[in-house]
Amino acid sequence: MVAPLYTTDSGLLFHAGKILVVTVGLPARGKTHISRALERYLRWMGVKTQVVSLGDYRRKVVGGAQKLPPDYFTIVGERSKSTLELRAKVQGGCEQQIMNYFDGGGQVVIYDANNGTVKARQALAEKFDKAGIHVIMLESVCDNVKLIERNIRSVKISSPDYRGWDPDKAVADYWSRIRDHEKHYEPVEETTWPFIRIINVGELIMVNHIRGYLQSRIVFFLMNIHNRFRTIYFARSGQSLIEHSYKADSDLSPGGWEYAEKLKEFVLQRRAKSLKEQGLENNKERRLVIWTSARRRSHHTAWPFLSPPSSNVKVVEKPQMSEINPGVWDGLTPDQVRKYYPDEWERFVKDPYAYRAPRAESYHDLCVRLEPVLVELEREQEDLLIIGHASVIRCLLAYLIGLPASEIPAIEIARGDLLEVTPTSYGVHSQAFHFWDGPGRRGDDDDEGGGGGGGVKDEKNFYENYAEDTKGKRKIGYQSV
Amino acid sequence: MATGNIPQLVYSDDWSEHSSSRVNSPPPAVFGAVGPIRIASQASTPPRSVVGIGNKVAKPDYSEAKIVLAMVGLPARGKSYLSNKLMRYLKWLEYDVKVFNVGQLRRSRARQKAQREGVREDHTASWFSHSNSEATRSRDQLAEDSLEMLIHWLKQGGNVGIHDATNSTRSRRAKIESRVAKEKGMSVIFLESVCDDPAIIAANVALKVTSGDPDYKDMSREEAKRDFLRRIKEYEAVYETITEPNLSYLRIIDVGDQVSVCRIHGYLQSRIAFYLMNLHLKPRSIFFSRHGESQFNVEGKIGGDSALSPRGMKYARSLPDLIADNIGDAPLTVWTSTLQRTIQTAQHLTCTKLTWKSLDELDAGVCDGMTYEEIEKAYPEDFANRDEDKFNYRYRGGESYRDVVVRLEPVIMELERQENILIIGHQAILRCLYAYFHNLTQADLPYIKIPLHTLIKITPKAYGCDEERYALPIGAVDTHRPKPGTPAHPHLPAPTSAREYFGER
Repeated sequence: MVAPLYTTDSGLLFHAGKILVVTVGLPARGKTHISRALERYLRWMGVKTQVVSLGDYRRKVVGGAQKLPPDYFTIVGERSKSTLELRAKVQGGCEQQIMNYFDGGGQVVIYDANNGTVKARQALAEKFDKAGIHVIMLESVCDNVKLIERNIRSVKISSPDYRGWDPDKAVADYWSRIRDHEKHYEPVEETTWPFIRIINVGELIMVNHIRGYLQSRIVFFLMNIHNRFRTIYFARSGQSLIEHSYKADSDLSPGGWEYAEKLKEFVLQRRAKSLKEQGLENNKERRLVIWTSARRRSHHTAWPFLSPPSSNVKVVEKPQMSEINPGVWDGLTPDQVRKYYPDEWERFVKDPYAYRAPRAESYHDLCVRLEPVLVELEREQEDLLIIGHASVIRCLLAYLIGLPASEIPAIEIARGDLLEVTPTSYGVHSQAFHFWDGPGRRGDDDDEGGGGGGGVKDEKNFYENYAEDTKGKRKIGYQSV
Repeated sequence: MATGNIPQLVYSDDWSEHSSSRVNSPPPAVFGAVGPIRIASQASTPPRSVVGIGNKVAKPDYSEAKIVLAMVGLPARGKSYLSNKLMRYLKWLEYDVKVFNVGQLRRSRARQKAQREGVREDHTASWFSHSNSEATRSRDQLAEDSLEMLIHWLKQGGNVGIHDATNSTRSRRAKIESRVAKEKGMSVIFLESVCDDPAIIAANVALKVTSGDPDYKDMSREEAKRDFLRRIKEYEAVYETITEPNLSYLRIIDVGDQVSVCRIHGYLQSRIAFYLMNLHLKPRSIFFSRHGESQFNVEGKIGGDSALSPRGMKYARSLPDLIADNIGDAPLTVWTSTLQRTIQTAQHLTCTKLTWKSLDELDAGVCDGMTYEEIEKAYPEDFANRDEDKFNYRYRGGESYRDVVVRLEPVIMELERQENILIIGHQAILRCLYAYFHNLTQADLPYIKIPLHTLIKITPKAYGCDEERYALPIGAVDTHRPKPGTPAHPHLPAPTSAREYFGER
């Protein structure tokens, strides 16, 4: 999604060539979770990446589990001829889809399927190796029954295969499917091809014959993902004494301090509720980690969390999380910029993602700056509250949700909203809650009265600088409480 | 919005160079543009005490990181190279790192013994033989003692202790594992360096016998080489490569060519793995040059985005020849910042050029575009504060050196992967990068001399970097400000690529 630091004529990055990542693993081992996460990350780095899922392809051309012959998932010897033909057809079609993506300029394909036998992997790898594509096996092993059961209940039985099924019956059916696969499953032990083995989603990682930057980057990323349940909250910092100025780095206004208190109250309340829903309310070990930028208004907004009644809170200041730098436009209103820099303004409006005003940062620059933060975001196991700036929250949200780069500048982030993002196996679930209508929500001169209003925006820029105020707002997971 | 009492802006050349627009009047003076400011806090909760406009930045909290990194590998396999390299990287990222080299401990103990008892222990190859049971016991004792010293140091607040020894057998590794497991919050990673390339091994052996290793002080080179090769044989006889599935380890083949990673978890651990995967041993040079003298340099102003002065332009014209004299037509990539003074400096070079936003000069925030005299006058406390702790001082609305180090980390990673690179950068940026390559402390970093119109060539070697400087005879202002109250030419450790034999000097 984010354009790369530099481009090459071939459109392939990091001199890494084309890579086919073949997932290996029994059903319900988190292959899809890993595949999607990797796809999201590589796309963010600008690598043309696509997940091709055998299951999705089969559902598309044949249909759900009810439409399959009963021996579709049983072991090889007992299958009827027609079933074997059907399977070969599905597999062949899927592989063709992969080849087509490479031919169309794609760089990385993640082939999401079981690929459970040495023979099948060898045939697949040879086929793509001949076409000049690097093949890497990515095995996800899981021997934790609880993890598997959780995965089945949360993901598998809601798949189209089981539409209209009784949940318990669906779970039982799925377990029998797994047992069928187990009979002829062979873990990746052959060293013919480079491999990455992930055991219990990141608990342990083994890597063999990994070469080059892109591949090492993939390993680095995989070392940092996990699937522990957690919630990521986003909120803007409170209103400051001098809005619209990057350089001022001013302190919070009285309204800003009030906002900080309200934010604390609301986050603790939401978090308690979500922990309760997960049956985790008595888990005293769980910490709330708060990240702020090194800007005063952001860091100070986290202060109330450090005093009782909150406990087990850790506040971390991250200098990479400063808002987008407006360069020479600092302190100007959009009207003034339009007036004094008409050409630049026009180019900015045309492409707010890529355009960099003199000495400013573009959203692209900001995304590059935030990359190390993303990996740490994946890494973090605890619930996380990010008290940030609109531009930074936009980039991070776009990464989590998987929005194209061009949409980043238009994401609506209002002060007084709390965004709640929960990673799930196919992506993330996001919701927004509105909790504050005080000064700084709508416009900086609108301190007294006029709150409430719920969604009525006036013309004034209520973002921190010009670059944060863009038109064509896009709302994410909006819902009022 | 507060706009009172702010001096009129001077939008001189700086402004017109950027703007393709033709406007009759410059933008109004607004808060946040050039000019001094001072806003008293009206916060209902008092902010942490801050004098003046900037603030002091605290070191990130790394207290939770306690790692024993135990090296594994035959002699001459680049263990010390990797541990040194890793130490430099992690120290630069502000982790507290220390290498505990068992060989050094052995030598210093033997020396003490020699002084005390007048007996000189025989440390030729036979001492390293597995069949020499007395020596084996004393080697085991040395390894254990140095591990104890390491653990003690971690307890005192260290983050990463590198146990630089051969740790070549399973039983030795099991001992380390069980010893560290007794310490709460500490974890151990083994880092095995495997090298099958005879050329690399031969080079390492040659380096060992010529680097002034005290073990070979009184021997001829030939003798020393024979003895060292015999020592390697003694180790090979009992060497067991890591395969223990319960250990957390990284196995590196031919320095980063291939890497196996097993049971690595934790953020710092994954960073270490990623870093090691990106190292290579190909000979190359890294060139640093500041941009040519800029208009702001001439006027004594900091920051800004001004064009080159006529003398700066002359430097830009001379640069291609200077580079060609050095590397001929070997491939070279040039990195510049997004500021025009670096882009102009690179304009006559014909190789591939990349611009990096992360290479932009340290952001001086509200002080951008002011002279040091103006800053001193407008913000006297800040001026003094910055001098007191320059690395940690963050300009209001801008950055500190520490912030710049954080921002440059991806650049360092990319530099490690690349071959010949010329960075045309800025004073503060090059100071940070220079400190990484020469392992300089944070206190020294902001005072490193990076003069204008000088090309610095850095060549990574096994135990550090060699450096050459080529100053062109094109006059330029001196932008270096020594720390007040210190000699004008502070003594910085001379860059060296010689191996340090601790306790031998």
